[in-house]
Amino acid sequence: MTYTLYHKTEFHYQSLVTFSHNIARLKPKDTPYQKLLEFELEIIPNAYESHEFIDMFGNENIHLLVREAHHSLCVIGKSRVEIYPEILDAHSNRLKSNSITYGQALERLSKFNSEDLEAKQFLFESELIPTHSKAIQSYALESFRHERDLFEAANEFMGRIFHDFEFLAGFSDVTTPVEKIFKAKKGVCQDFAQLAIAALRSIGLPAKYMSGYIETLPPEGQEKLFGADASHAWFALYIPHAGWAEFDPTNNIIPSGQHILLGEGRDYADIAPLKGVVQSSGGSYLSVMVDVKQDVPMKLSQQMQSQSQTQSQMQTQTQY
Amino acid sequence: MPIFDRYVLESSCDEMFDSQKNIKEPWIEVTNELKSLGFETLEEKQTEIDWILEDNGVTYNIYNNNIDGSANRSWSMDPIPFVISESEWETITKGLQQRATLLNLILKDLYSEQKLIKENIIPAEVIFSHKGFSPEVHDFGLKENFNLYFYATDLARGPDGKMWVINDRTQAPSGLGYAIENRLVMNVIAKELYPNIETKKLFSFLEEFKELFKKFKHDADSVAALLTPGPYNETYFEHSYLSSFLNIELVQGEDLLTKNGSLWLKNLGGLRKVDTLIRRVDDRYCDPLELKNSSKLGVAGLVDVVRQNNLNMINPVGSAILENIGLNPFMEKVAHYFLNETLILPQIATWWCGQEKELEFVLENLDKLIVKKIDRTESVQVYFGKNMSGEERENLKNLLLQHPNQYVAQEEISFSTVPYYTNKSIEPRSATIRTFSLKSEEGYSVMNGGLVRVSSIKDALLVSSQRGGTSKDLWILGSDAKTINFVNRFENTKYSDTFINNLSTLKAENLFWLGRYLSRLITTTRFVLHIVKKMTNFYRYEGMISKESQEILQKALTHLTMTYPGFFSEDNKKKLERNPMIEIASVVKDASRQGSLSFTFAMLSNTNINLKDILAIESTKVYEKMKKEWSMFAKKTTHSNISMASELERMLLYIIAYKGLVKESIYKEQGLILYDIGYNIESALLLISKARSILCWHVEKSVEYDILMGLLNSIESFNAYRAKYKSSLLLENVIEFLIFNRQFPKSLAYRTDELLQALKLLPKSKDSLSSYEKPIADANELLKSLNISDLMTINENETLYATFDNALSKLAGFYIECSNEFSKTYFSHYDE
Repeated sequence: MTYTLYHKTEFHYQSLVTFSHNIARLKPKDTPYQKLLEFELEIIPNAYESHEFIDMFGNENIHLLVREAHHSLCVIGKSRVEIYPEILDAHSNRLKSNSITYGQALERLSKFNSEDLEAKQFLFESELIPTHSKAIQSYALESFRHERDLFEAANEFMGRIFHDFEFLAGFSDVTTPVEKIFKAKKGVCQDFAQLAIAALRSIGLPAKYMSGYIETLPPEGQEKLFGADASHAWFALYIPHAGWAEFDPTNNIIPSGQHILLGEGRDYADIAPLKGVVQSSGGSYLSVMVDVKQDVPMKLSQQMQSQSQTQSQMQTQTQY
Repeated sequence: MPIFDRYVLESSCDEMFDSQKNIKEPWIEVTNELKSLGFETLEEKQTEIDWILEDNGVTYNIYNNNIDGSANRSWSMDPIPFVISESEWETITKGLQQRATLLNLILKDLYSEQKLIKENIIPAEVIFSHKGFSPEVHDFGLKENFNLYFYATDLARGPDGKMWVINDRTQAPSGLGYAIENRLVMNVIAKELYPNIETKKLFSFLEEFKELFKKFKHDADSVAALLTPGPYNETYFEHSYLSSFLNIELVQGEDLLTKNGSLWLKNLGGLRKVDTLIRRVDDRYCDPLELKNSSKLGVAGLVDVVRQNNLNMINPVGSAILENIGLNPFMEKVAHYFLNETLILPQIATWWCGQEKELEFVLENLDKLIVKKIDRTESVQVYFGKNMSGEERENLKNLLLQHPNQYVAQEEISFSTVPYYTNKSIEPRSATIRTFSLKSEEGYSVMNGGLVRVSSIKDALLVSSQRGGTSKDLWILGSDAKTINFVNRFENTKYSDTFINNLSTLKAENLFWLGRYLSRLITTTRFVLHIVKKMTNFYRYEGMISKESQEILQKALTHLTMTYPGFFSEDNKKKLERNPMIEIASVVKDASRQGSLSFTFAMLSNTNINLKDILAIESTKVYEKMKKEWSMFAKKTTHSNISMASELERMLLYIIAYKGLVKESIYKEQGLILYDIGYNIESALLLISKARSILCWHVEKSVEYDILMGLLNSIESFNAYRAKYKSSLLLENVIEFLIFNRQFPKSLAYRTDELLQALKLLPKSKDSLSSYEKPIADANELLKSLNISDLMTINENETLYATFDNALSKLAGFYIECSNEFSKTYFSHYDE
């Protein structure tokens, strides 16, 4: 399956900005089941300079310095990505058959095992997912019992989030604490992913934040509008002896070809599509437009939900 | 030996006495001197030390909640040094070199191949659960200049008589500046106190530091700099001291910018490349782009500059991972792994709770242990098991079971005591030594000295400068291999800083605003003062002074301070008429109101503190006094006219005195020119504001007399006017005097001339008019073209001199444009 992606992020500033440093993470990642075919980054106004590098989580970062005076900064990532569902399926099957119980996993993670080292980066609190409360831990433990198969437990846990939480855009933003989401029982895809990660880490399991896209279908009989999509987020759980298993709690599905991965990290902060620092005396706001199109459309059984981002990550270094 | 009689009884494990109560060998000379001198001389020397330290402005700021800012505490030092023999120091030096080498190898490995983790030398959890581990620099370890260059170690003598490692300080070690200053002060008093004792010098270590900068020098114009969090930081004194000692620039985040993959220092003359950065800002605060997003202390893009190999950082971002007590239990293994050696310096026995057996042991022996979080990047947490209640201990157990990876437990140890002089007696106090090591080509050099911190109270186990206490000089007995005299620090102080081109942009900007805020404060205070006095007279002479003139002046005050609606408020009209003092008091004291005197005062405070190292100490003292008085005044809630007037008058004298000291403590090229420009622009704008409120209105003669008098008095110019015009007050004359007169220093024309001259002296001035000069030249032309009689024409039924008002409004526009263009060119480095 081949997808064409369009992701536009635009910052609007109250006062004129003459110097701004930004990091864009808009280039989809290559994985065993996903291949980047084309990529193009457009910046308006033009960047004075740019520098690419790969972060610890394997994501492509582009550092952009804009020095042309501007009231808005627009960064557009355009890419074409091929997904191999059969590889994904095979991976899923392997995970299921190699999965171990929660108790075995804890036992193994408490010891040294060279295979698990990389995953242990995702075991601890991170900027947006600080130490969890007892309530979140208990919520997770309802699904994870010592003798229970890890994959099955995680699958059930995903389903519980899907049913217990209401998808509601506008309630939260990227800074809303996980605890608040847990209490309110509502949020968007990013909140559900981060909540699941917090819960899994609280019971000693490594979990990571997956950022990307999912194709949405318009209501029956209507034509899809360009730019009606949004960026999406889900989580992956590390199953020792088997590998990383991905779950999408917003849609209660295991990704099998509909999800396009942009990048991954400990939480949203590690993989925010665009962040920056400007010298400016006024405020700013952000608008995002995303379009996901499959070259040969696939029939989806249910309409996928995703999130629209509202919170600006821009920091204002105020001057006199 | 009477002076040590009590001491001997009180001390047990001691530096000076052995267990048989005999004086240990290295201390014999020092004690002999002390015995022959007695307490009188010690007291004298202590006074001398206090005086020198205070005179040199040595301070250590303490974080407290006191917003009045009495946070500056004088540094203090004990006249008795901490003495260590040459042979023991040799062992310690080897131990420190070994530990520095190991920590550097750990640092480089963790940010490259991570063999230590992969080969199970250090558990992954000890690294990944520690917030000092920076994923942003995950692959920097193999860079040639990614090293632990500067390393501080806290040592104390354990019960076995050996020096033990207590703490490692790696990301931004502090204390070197204080150690140097202690030594310099000690040199002065040692001549009389300990004339016969020879100690090793600090000189060669500091020379090596300078050598390092030379080695890192990129090209002839590039510079090395010390990045400070700013004047509010607890050790700012040290930052400013060290930078001048090491002959490098002292900068704040706002002084720097990144572009072309390099770091640049913003100077008034332009950008200069920074090749080496010693930073005293913690890891996570160094770069708001890649690290802590909310940090205002760093420079956006700094990490990427290092990534592109264009900056040497002392120490690199990522070093915080080494400030990790969780490493202690594994250091022996690391020493074996990298060097096939055993550790030379012992550490406190430490158990990492992330291991099953260790956790079990800790939980069982909680009452004997000290529990610490391995990570001190966010907060320092220490639990003393023996002091805890049953419930507290249960809570701690739960915490350890929940997050075993993040905690260690250590044995509780009592360290040795040293003699400490206080109040005519010598008492034993516990002490720690901070030592300093520097990476050189051959390995690590250790400074032959250090900073000794002594606990503030007897029997205190924790020693920290934050908690108070005093300090000592560390003496290593013996002579240096090289015999070079320790140079006076002023010999190396360079004067290039004082040239306007190299004036830091941040300082320049602060000087500019110092001028603007001072002018604003003086002008407004005088104006308010005049209004308040007038009101008193109004009551006194039962309305002889017209109410109308008062209203004009009050509205002028609202315009002047831009505290709208103020006296223009329609809703409060009645109230304002009845009791104008309420509004006036608010304009004076309400710090939350932009434009109020208190608000302007707070802004002035910020600029003042940023200029502390340029301004004379006297001006700082006057400022501190003024600040204290102001905050007391601002807290008073009564608004009697007379008390307000007398208090304002007193404040005014302080401000004027401060202004005088500012003007005489810096000279033009050093930056006074920026102050002058700011002062003149602000004064011009405020004069125009007052002129528009007062001189543009056609009013009846008696009112006119009142308001003209008010205007002249409020700029302290009535006498000057009388001297020139020798006549009563005429509107035309006052306008000529205040706006057009080219001889009177407070007139608009005069200020315009001054500005034109001052702007020419700036580094980016050209033959043609610069963008910021043009508006002032235009203002000058406009002033020349105006004619008073034209301005004074008015139609029968009108009350506003519209032509005059228009001209003034245009003039104001020119000064504002000049200020904006000026800021763009010099402060934002718009075109570079």
